[in-house]
Formats: sequence, C-alpha cells, structure tokens
Amino acid sequence: MSSSHEAPRSPREPEGAAGGSAVPDASGTAPRPAAPDSARWGWRRPELVLALTVLGLGVFVIVGTADVTAAGSALGLGPRFFPLLVGSAMVLIGVFYVIDVLRGGHGDPEEAEDVDASAPADWKTVALVSVIFLAFAGLVDLLGWIIAGALLFFGLAVALGAGHRLRAGAVAIILSTSSYLAFVKGLGVTLPAGLLSGVI
Amino acid sequence: MDSLQLLLDGFATALTPVNLLYALAGVTLGTLVGVLPGIGPAMTVALLLPITFNVPPASAFIMFAGIYYGGMYGGSTTSILLNTPGESSSMITALEGNKMARRGRAAQALATAAIGSFVAGTIATGLLVVAAPVVVDFAISFGPEDYFALAVLAFTAVSSVLSRSVVRGLASLGFGLVIGLIGIDEQTGQARLTLGIPQLLGGIEVVVVAVGLFALGEALYVASRLRHGEPEIIPVGRAFMGRSDWSRSWRPWLRGTALGFPFGALPGGGAEIPTFLSYSVEKRLARGAAREEYGRGAIEGVAGPEAANNASAAGTLVPLLTLGLPTSATAAILLAAFQQYGLQPGPQLFDHNPALVWGMIASLFLGNAMLLVLNLPLAPLWAKVLHVPRPYLYAGIVLFAALGVYALNASWIDLVVLYILGLLGFAMRRFGLPIAPAVIGMILGPMAEIQLRRALAIGAGDATVLVRSPIAAAILAVAFLVLFIPLVRALTRPGRAAG
Repeated sequence: MSSSHEAPRSPREPEGAAGGSAVPDASGTAPRPAAPDSARWGWRRPELVLALTVLGLGVFVIVGTADVTAAGSALGLGPRFFPLLVGSAMVLIGVFYVIDVLRGGHGDPEEAEDVDASAPADWKTVALVSVIFLAFAGLVDLLGWIIAGALLFFGLAVALGAGHRLRAGAVAIILSTSSYLAFVKGLGVTLPAGLLSGVI
Repeated sequence: MDSLQLLLDGFATALTPVNLLYALAGVTLGTLVGVLPGIGPAMTVALLLPITFNVPPASAFIMFAGIYYGGMYGGSTTSILLNTPGESSSMITALEGNKMARRGRAAQALATAAIGSFVAGTIATGLLVVAAPVVVDFAISFGPEDYFALAVLAFTAVSSVLSRSVVRGLASLGFGLVIGLIGIDEQTGQARLTLGIPQLLGGIEVVVVAVGLFALGEALYVASRLRHGEPEIIPVGRAFMGRSDWSRSWRPWLRGTALGFPFGALPGGGAEIPTFLSYSVEKRLARGAAREEYGRGAIEGVAGPEAANNASAAGTLVPLLTLGLPTSATAAILLAAFQQYGLQPGPQLFDHNPALVWGMIASLFLGNAMLLVLNLPLAPLWAKVLHVPRPYLYAGIVLFAALGVYALNASWIDLVVLYILGLLGFAMRRFGLPIAPAVIGMILGPMAEIQLRRALAIGAGDATVLVRSPIAAAILAVAFLVLFIPLVRALTRPGRAAG
C-alpha cells in the first residue's frame, strides 16, 4: 500500500483535466477559485493543516496504542499489529501529502449544486451552524426531541438565510413534531420526550 | 435451474402485501430523497437507514433495495432539471441531459433516463441472478488470505480511481481505517484509541460516520459557500418520448448496460468510469442528427450513461452479496445495514439466508418496475421538490442526520462525534479528498484485520502465507498495480496533464 511513487505527480491538474473522476471538459466551464500563490505560499495554505492532521493521526495511532499489549495468542498477532500497520501507512501518506502541498499541489474543492466554489469561505455561517448544532447536542436530553429539534431546524434555517422567520418557525415545529410521532409512535424508535414528557 | 427456483421463492417473499408495501415505501422515499439537491445515493441510504431499525430483516432489505434504486432514479431527475455537477454518478447525465432540457426536451430526457434505467436495471439484475451463484461457488473455497487480498484491492482501487491524486485518496482511506480501529478489539478484548471515553468502547457506528461525512459535512460545506439567488430549474410536464427518441435510445441503453454492469462489480469501478465511457462511446458512434446535436443535448448522451449508471448499481451488488466486498460508498453503507442485523454477506449468506437474499434480489426487479411507473407520470411532482428553499433543505438534512444518529444509542456523545466527523467531511470536500475511500476503509478495515490475523495465525506467523494461494497473490499484485492508474493516465495524456 505504498504511495511512494505517486506523490510527485499528483499536483495540479488543470480544471476539467479528467483526472480520477474522469469528467469530460464540458462541465469545466464553472469558474474555480484560482490559487495563483499556492506554490509560493506553501507554508501558509490551509490544506497543509489537513495534511499535517493525516501525519499527526498516524503518530497518534502508533503512540495511542502503545498501552495495548500482550494478550495476543502465541500463534496469531496481537491487537497492536494492525494499528501499527495503519499508523505507519498514515505517517507515510501524511509525509507525501505534506510534501505535495508544499510543492504547490492542491485538491479541487468539490462542486455541488448549491455551492458557489468561487465565493470566499463564509466562516461566520459555519461557526453559527456549529454552535447551533453543539447546543442542540447538549440540550436534546433536557428539552426533548420536539423542542430541541424545532430549535435546531429554526436556528439552522435562519443561519443559512431563511428570510421568512415565522414560516421557518412553523416548518420547524411541524417537522420536529411529525418526525417524533412517526419515529416514536410509528417505528418504535426511542427519542427523548424531555419537557413535554407528560404531554405527548 | 437452481437459482431460478430460488429466485421464484424470492418473488414469493417479495410479493406478499406487506413486503410490496415496504418496496413501494422504499422506492418512493428513495426517489424523494434522491431528487433533493446535494443528496446522492450514498447519503440517501445513510439518512434512511434509521427507518429500518425495527423492521424485520427480509422486509428491511426489500425496502433498502427500493431506496437504493430509487436514489439512483432521483439523482438523474436532479441532474437533468438542475444541471448538477456535484454528484459523480449522474454528473455525465447532466452534460447532455440539462442541455436537452434547456432546449425544451426535458420530458424526453427524463423519459429516456427513466426507461433506460428500467431496461438497464432489469437486465443487470438478471445478470446479478446469473453471476451471483457462480461467484459464490468460486468463493466458497476462499481462505482468509484471499479475503484479505480482496480488501486490500478494494482499498487501493477506491483510493486511486476516485481521486485525481493518489495521496489524497489514500489519506481519505487512512481516515476511515483509523476510525475503524476505535473500540474494543474483538479477539482480545483490548480497548484501542478510545481516549478513555466509555461510549467509544463499542466503536463508532457506520451510520454516524456515513451521516457525518456525507450529510453534516455537506451542510457545513454549503454553509461556507452557499450559492445565493434562485437556482434555475427547468419546468417539465409528464415524461414521454416519441418514436425517433425510442429508436435513438435503445442501442445506447444496451451498450450502457454492457459497460455499467462489469465496472460496477469491480473494486473501484463504481459508476463514474462506465458512465463516462458510455458518454464517449455514444459520442463516437453518433451519426447524422445525433452527431450535430452532441454537446447541445443529444438523447444518446443521456440514454447511455443513465443505463450505465443503473447497471453499475446492480453490478455493485455482486461482490457485496457474494463476497461481502463493498466497491462503492453506497455499497459500504448497505453492508453496514446487513451487519446491523448480525448478517455477514458472503457465500454463507446465500446458504443460511436464501429467503432474505433472493427476496431482496426479486424486489430489485419489482422496485425497478415501480420506479418506472412512479417516474414517468410523476416527473412534474419530483421537479417541484427541487424548489425547496435551500436554508430549509440543509436544516432538514441536519435534523434528520441528528435523528438517525441519536436514535442509535440515545447518546449525546454520538452527536458530538457526528459533529467532529462533519468537520472532517467539510475539510475533505474543501480540499478535494474523495469521501468514498473513508467510508469503505472504515467498514472494511476491521474485516481486513480479522482476515489478516486469521491468515497469519494459520501460517503460524509466517507472512508468506498471504501470497501462498495463487488467487491472493494475483489479487495483491493487481491491488499494487492499481495504484499506478493515475500515473499511467497522466502520462498517456500529456497535453491535458501539463497545464
């Protein structure tokens, strides 16, 4: 599973250059964010963080399983063998990934229906979505699915730009209530009732 | 013929009123969710997995078969009416399909896609019936070293074929493998990489990983660069096509099927390569009006790739059911669905659960027919789904992702894990790492480990046992060579790779 021979060639194929996904050029008309400085600013590019994460995760797997010892049968391999294999592979891949990024290679942002790949990243919305979701995770047991789910939907819809708040609120309540009823009463899945436990 | 009898028994299972209802619910939900922009077949299956938590296995898989095929149909509607470049398997359909729609031939494009999908799906499911028992007979003698080699092949193939850069494909695979390591080692009971969090002892469930990487990752990615302004959706009436459309479509359907099925069955083959191949084959074969139309909306360019797309979906089921080997992200999630019921696809599954396997295969035929009926007259209805306001769409995706994950163990820690995986999915999208290798690595990694340890235990620690069987040696050699595909591709197309 060595990647050693690939690293030098992976960087920068031009847009539409039918690499792995084998896409004909016709779709390549969409503008893609140019990265003119990518080669020069290799040390500052955010992709480096992801490449270093791969490397770090490899080290973590090797170090993190250090306490997993023995117990393996005399014949077979212990529980640490496979993690060592995976960890070493990750370190190797991570090294090549880092080198690739430093040499100016970059992956193309995925294109999707609702994504404007040429727009600058809107970190405020990402942070808002994150806060809303984590708040939901922390409160769902206390508030119950219906209330927490409605707040989650409403919060996300507004954060993503829903103009009509009253309508968003109504949709939120309908969706969370109907999903609760469908899954709990209809499909027998357990969801917390929370504050509404006596009511529904 | 033996398998014919088993298939008839399968139809007997699938044709009970309850199971027909499950099949209908499956295809309807699959189409509905598959039509939604931003949701591909893999995410469709992952999001709908929780619905089957309390359904008996045979019915659940009949429903799943419907969801799987329904998601494929839904995706083609989106790409024709909305021009979606995002989802890899129907990307090619959008090229000619959307141009057809723009020229006022949306109804014909949808019709050739739906009928072509039906034709291809039916033929390819028939091929599955023929091929599966053959592969099972062959695989019954497979030892652990053969299974390990197959897993390695799946790893390298999916990493190198789906990505422009092998390093990025392998990095994605590595993320999946590491996630798969978390939890208690089954053979020795030792906890690995759990960071002392008791909820992680059982490992991270596939649903959490799939929903996190696909659904939450997509939602965060969209949040970071939401396209503002109304998307342009082409209105459409009932899907239909005329005599000349039929005569121009049937050959591409058959050629697409012939390309799609074998590629779907190969590790790393998936739907991307056969749809692209079908597109170029039809382009090369186009004569007369078709030649002039190509690039401006030729029906051949929709008929062929759509048939290839659906045929590959059936092809994917061959290695999945007979070997337990997922060759696409969607197949990996289906495998997780099997494991959820304590079932392990492979030769034994055909022996121990013939009713379930053949009931599922029979329902693929039924689901396909239902989808044809559902898609031709109801096209305008599905087109309406495309108008869902985007803030509601993504808020809804996150809500149902949270529901599916929370319903697993009623644990908020799962939701936090979901968020972290969502961040990973976001980063992977942002930097062009393919998602499929991570999902396949996560689900196949633990199985590869078990087979590896079993093989080495049999060999008493002698590593050459891994290549002692000629099958394993050959598969490992192919697995290694597959890593060079992108290199070869770059070298043979110097003009394009330079720039």
